[in-house]
Amino acid sequence: MARLQIPIETTTLGNGLRVVVAPDAAAPVVTVGVYYNIGFRLEPRGRSGFAHLFEHMMFQGSANAGKMMHIKLINSSGGVLNGSTHYDVTNYFEAVPSNALERVLWLEADRMRALKVDEENLRNQRDVVKEEVRVNVLNQPYGGFPWLDLPPVAYRNWHNAHNFYGDFADLDAATLDDVQAFFKTYYAPSNAVLLILGDVQPEEGFALAERYFQDIPSGPPPKPADVSEPPQTEEHRGVVEEKFGTLPALAVGYHAPQRRTPDWHAAAMLDQALHGGRAGRVYRRLVLEKQVAVDTSGGIHYPMGDIFDYNGPTQMVTRILHKPEFSADQTLAVFDEAVGELQQQGISVEELEQVKVKFRSDYYSQLEGGRGGYMPRYGLMHCLACFALFDRDPQLVNTILEGFLEVTPAQVQAAAQKYLVPRNRAIVIRRPVAKGAAR
Amino acid sequence: MSSVLTSDLRAHVPALGPERPVVWPRRTRRTLVNGLQVVLVESHTIPKLTAELYFRSGNAVTARQAPGLAEMTAAVVRTGTVSRSSRQIEEDLRRMGADLGTSAGADTSAISFSGLAEFSKGLLELVVELARNASFPPDEFERERRQRVEELRIERTTPGFLAGERLRKVLFGQHPYALVAPTEAQVESYRREQLVEFYGEHYRPGNALLVAVGDFTAENMVEQIERAFGNWPAGKPAEPENPPLPETRGRHVYLVHLADTVQTQILVGNRAITRRHPDWLRLSLANSLYGGAFNSRLVMNIREQKGYTYSPRSTVHALRQHGYFSIHAAVRNAVAAATLAEIFYELDRMRALPVGEEELTDARNYLSGVFSLGLGTQDGLAAQLATVYLNELPEDYLETYREKIRALTADDVLAAARKYFDSANARIVLVGDRKELAEQAALFGELEVFDAQGNRLQGGEAG
Repeated sequence: MARLQIPIETTTLGNGLRVVVAPDAAAPVVTVGVYYNIGFRLEPRGRSGFAHLFEHMMFQGSANAGKMMHIKLINSSGGVLNGSTHYDVTNYFEAVPSNALERVLWLEADRMRALKVDEENLRNQRDVVKEEVRVNVLNQPYGGFPWLDLPPVAYRNWHNAHNFYGDFADLDAATLDDVQAFFKTYYAPSNAVLLILGDVQPEEGFALAERYFQDIPSGPPPKPADVSEPPQTEEHRGVVEEKFGTLPALAVGYHAPQRRTPDWHAAAMLDQALHGGRAGRVYRRLVLEKQVAVDTSGGIHYPMGDIFDYNGPTQMVTRILHKPEFSADQTLAVFDEAVGELQQQGISVEELEQVKVKFRSDYYSQLEGGRGGYMPRYGLMHCLACFALFDRDPQLVNTILEGFLEVTPAQVQAAAQKYLVPRNRAIVIRRPVAKGAAR
Repeated sequence: MSSVLTSDLRAHVPALGPERPVVWPRRTRRTLVNGLQVVLVESHTIPKLTAELYFRSGNAVTARQAPGLAEMTAAVVRTGTVSRSSRQIEEDLRRMGADLGTSAGADTSAISFSGLAEFSKGLLELVVELARNASFPPDEFERERRQRVEELRIERTTPGFLAGERLRKVLFGQHPYALVAPTEAQVESYRREQLVEFYGEHYRPGNALLVAVGDFTAENMVEQIERAFGNWPAGKPAEPENPPLPETRGRHVYLVHLADTVQTQILVGNRAITRRHPDWLRLSLANSLYGGAFNSRLVMNIREQKGYTYSPRSTVHALRQHGYFSIHAAVRNAVAAATLAEIFYELDRMRALPVGEEELTDARNYLSGVFSLGLGTQDGLAAQLATVYLNELPEDYLETYREKIRALTADDVLAAARKYFDSANARIVLVGDRKELAEQAALFGELEVFDAQGNRLQGGEAG
């Protein structure tokens, strides 16, 4: 079996900034990321959507580079850039020809040093974010389903349960003082990791990191938000109106085992057995055999992330678009059959072996994968950052597969019996409003 | 808006280092005796291979007899062969750590696959079976057909889809490129024999291109491919003739009515050119300056200054026989007309004034830089190779692209904008609620209103 061994070098600067370099000179391209250990789950109470709005503000002007300068300087170097907000991290990243590395690091250091934004910038980006919410959620069939629908039904702790994109009233209430306070609290070097991947030597990467980031003063690390959930004792259900789409939909989320435990490894194999494409039991049963559904998909921490990129409670989620002639309960009964079969009969050695091969293959693709094809090694960067921030061990990239490949059929069956039970799950139904569905 | 760096900032920003050479990997090319074209590149980034088997026939060749038939054929191809059931195919793929997709666009049908390199032999054998010996099980066909109908119903509630569908209709008229998707009735009327016939005629080695990138040695992979595909009997379909394109004079506005929408999907377009056209790179650069990149004029104007929209962009679309240029933005309803005014203002500015030296240099650097970002991944390489060989671009296209972009001038950009940013004759599509939009839309040209199914509605009728 071919194993992937990715060279990784790490250091920590005096101000607490962690630095990870993964050299690979195959192409004259370098990918840079800065990850901050703050995401929409961790944003302060009563400030829904702030972490994401703030991410937009990080493109509006920093210590020396004014509005548009980050974008202009990266694009004109032949590169691309973006940022994104996740449950527990927010990232800023660039892919550029490697002769622009120093410029990219200067820019990222400039906005770690200070944010220089005004009322006009905030008003402008608040408008942009509202259009983002409209185009992705409010004006799309199945917008936000189930990533915005499930949390309020599944969770009781505000941090896990609130509207991550933000209520418009909360977005409107955000002030420049809030922006600067948030920056001061969460964007300290000690709460971040810098990643440099591709056409760079480790010593060169470390020297440049020191040159540009070393003298950024660090504040105290933020007080971690309490994201713990009270134990669930009965099944939760919710219904959301579907304004555009013609088919009814159903999402089921089971609380997943804690990250990096034997149960978590087993749940990953269970997940692949259930949701692994068309060979997965859910698609096969609901779409191919019983034909109650038109499409199914799912995963651990699906659809806003993957099995590695969270640090707290999450769920194994199944998303089902089903035919209107079947009720939600009928559809759910077919889904429950597929789950019940795994609980009662377990998984064969042969099926588990297939699942492991596919899991390994998917992992390699994930590491190499760009984001929509334009960001080489985005996946590797993302894993390194999460392993650095959550586990303090980016080398896990080279060893994390082992735990999954050791899972036994008995463990998979036991995990199915322990976790895939009604009192551990939440169900959300998307019910189309009359016009399209009635026919 | 000036984008010139202040001297103060220039002093801070590190200069670009010396450029490291971009070396495109060596391609191994073969044409098998049956006509199958093969392009291989070694890439050892991960222990996998990534490949696409293209047939140069898509929905355009079936548009007159059965729109969308190529797509339906592709969907059913993966559901059974003479020796494997649907379930067996899916489990065999999983056993090899493989993903496989079948699809069809206007010009091609494709089987895309990737998997662990250690299983490449078995994967190629499965793919050749799908390409040669698909069995089109009747029950799988019925299931896929029903799924397609349900998908179409959802697509016709999706603003971006509806805008694209209408724009293609008005740009291409009677030409097959006008049809983006079939109607539900057309899907209902497909017969299994039609799929089998399309498959028999078009899934032929003489019509095919296989691009493979991955962790293999080229020599060994050539052998594996010859063994798997070599005894597939030759064959190549005839090229169909297509009707002429419609006249597109004057500005016209097409409003697709979708009740209670909280946003307006704007899509503006003109016909343009194919990738083989000598103006392609000039137009690409003009597009990049106008709206093709984050720091382009349109994005800075309607996003960063005015906050009308989240992700506006312009795009040059190349099809095999023709192409088109389009601009899209999803905006709040109240600023639909204001956004259109800015879209046209920026188009006309590109047409009227030569672009300044700094802005031009920035855009040239952008295009030539991003062109090679995909070099380090199997996916990125496979996509670039497919573009070159499907479009029959010159063999040195990848190697010479950057120098050609860097040689372009402000005059080239101005000429391309004047020729292709045809603002006076643009087609304007708006998808949204007519109550909110009819008045704003009528400001920009003669207005026609449609429902989501494509039926014409009376202009003055209340939504």
